[in-house]
Amino acid sequence: MSSWLELLTDNFDALASGFWVTLRLVVGAFLVAAVVGTLVAALRIAPSKWLQRLGGVYVETFRNIPLLVLLIIAYSGLRRAGVPIGTWTAGIAALGLYTAAYVAEVLRSGVFAVSRGQVEAALSLGFDQRQTLRRIVLPQAVRTVISPLGSITIAMIKNSAIVGAALAVNDLLKEARIIASRTFETEAAFVCAAIGYLLLTIAATIAVRLLEQRYAIRR
Amino acid sequence: MGYLFDPDNWEWLTTSNNTRFILEGFLVNLQIALIAMVFSLLVGLGLALARLSRNRLVSIVVGAWIDLWRNLPLIFVILYLALALPAPWREAYEDAAPGFLPDVLQEGRVFAGLLALVLYNSAVLAEIMRAGIQSLDRGQDEAAVALGLTYWQRMRIVILPQGLRRMLPATVSQLITLNKDTTLVSIIAIQEVMRHGRIVTGQNFFGGVQAPILQVFIFIGLLFVVTNLALSRLSRRLEIREQERTGTTVQPVSGIEDQLVTVHAKR
Repeated sequence: MSSWLELLTDNFDALASGFWVTLRLVVGAFLVAAVVGTLVAALRIAPSKWLQRLGGVYVETFRNIPLLVLLIIAYSGLRRAGVPIGTWTAGIAALGLYTAAYVAEVLRSGVFAVSRGQVEAALSLGFDQRQTLRRIVLPQAVRTVISPLGSITIAMIKNSAIVGAALAVNDLLKEARIIASRTFETEAAFVCAAIGYLLLTIAATIAVRLLEQRYAIRR
Repeated sequence: MGYLFDPDNWEWLTTSNNTRFILEGFLVNLQIALIAMVFSLLVGLGLALARLSRNRLVSIVVGAWIDLWRNLPLIFVILYLALALPAPWREAYEDAAPGFLPDVLQEGRVFAGLLALVLYNSAVLAEIMRAGIQSLDRGQDEAAVALGLTYWQRMRIVILPQGLRRMLPATVSQLITLNKDTTLVSIIAIQEVMRHGRIVTGQNFFGGVQAPILQVFIFIGLLFVVTNLALSRLSRRLEIREQERTGTTVQPVSGIEDQLVTVHAKR
């Protein structure tokens, strides 16, 4: 049991750098997912049928395609096509765009959870469509979906390991594999990586719980 | 855009056996998904029941087991088992694998992939099923007890039919995720659609026509989109029906990608 502790202290720098890379992937992809997800959710609830359909196509495509396929399209596919995309950009973009589909769906369902009467009240008070959405609907929508958004974030932390497996990005799992193949201490190396991932997912769980206590609207 | 739709870049589809080769790989994925689904559902149900056991010790131990596997990245579990699974286990799988499975699925290393998929998904499904069972009104179980039903009778006749049906949409969503996750076993060198895609895009492999990576993998992605869309249509239909029937709320299960079902149910 102590062997993994030994391995951790011996290879601390490599593991810490892997952890840092994973963290940066997650934060980067989260930002992409938040921005793109909000835009796609806006398309999904737009007054035009065509915009709604466009948002729908985005969601259905990115939600149903395996992340690994997306990563290969974003890196090898674009490179072979002559687009000089880097591993980081491709990894963050693929993970972020994939997650954005889930974010968009959850935000949309949150918007629909705000009762119609509130929208009507806002409109009759003289707010225009955009103001109603921004000041009345969205703040409440976001607060009803804190818990599912947290779930998506936790799933994304786990999915970030696929980026390292598919592309030349030395994330936590990749560093652990390198150490495992060098020292033959497979168990210990994977235990260290597991602790890293559990730290991230548990931290995210706690953060979500705190946010929920503070802001959530229960329906 | 020009590159994407250039007919020259789609010529590979009709050249030699490319399309057939990729579809054959995709069939392996579907078979892996099907096997993993059956076992994950069975193991998941067992775990959910053990998790809800009156015996505190069993409940705590099984709860820790579930939380461990569903909080680790699946790719992590696959890679770990591929390295750490003892050789005799792999040989036992090779001996036990039924002959009607295709050759690819009879290889020992497939066992690591299947086992990882089942470990991860059974844990997630157990949590989904638990949420479904717990969302039932306590009175259901109490009434069944008062009627003198035994534990297994209560589960079989009263609790499971209601609890599991309530979570059917969430279960289907997780099965869609499982279907996508079968691509991850390509990392441990199982010859499925991703590997076949790599072979097709190898320089001048078939018929001297180069297959561009972008187009080939878009094609592979579309195969998944089509199958999963069919599954999710089914899920949506079930979801609407359940909501109309019961109008109940089920607590969302944390850590899974697809939270839609549970959010809709909250409305």
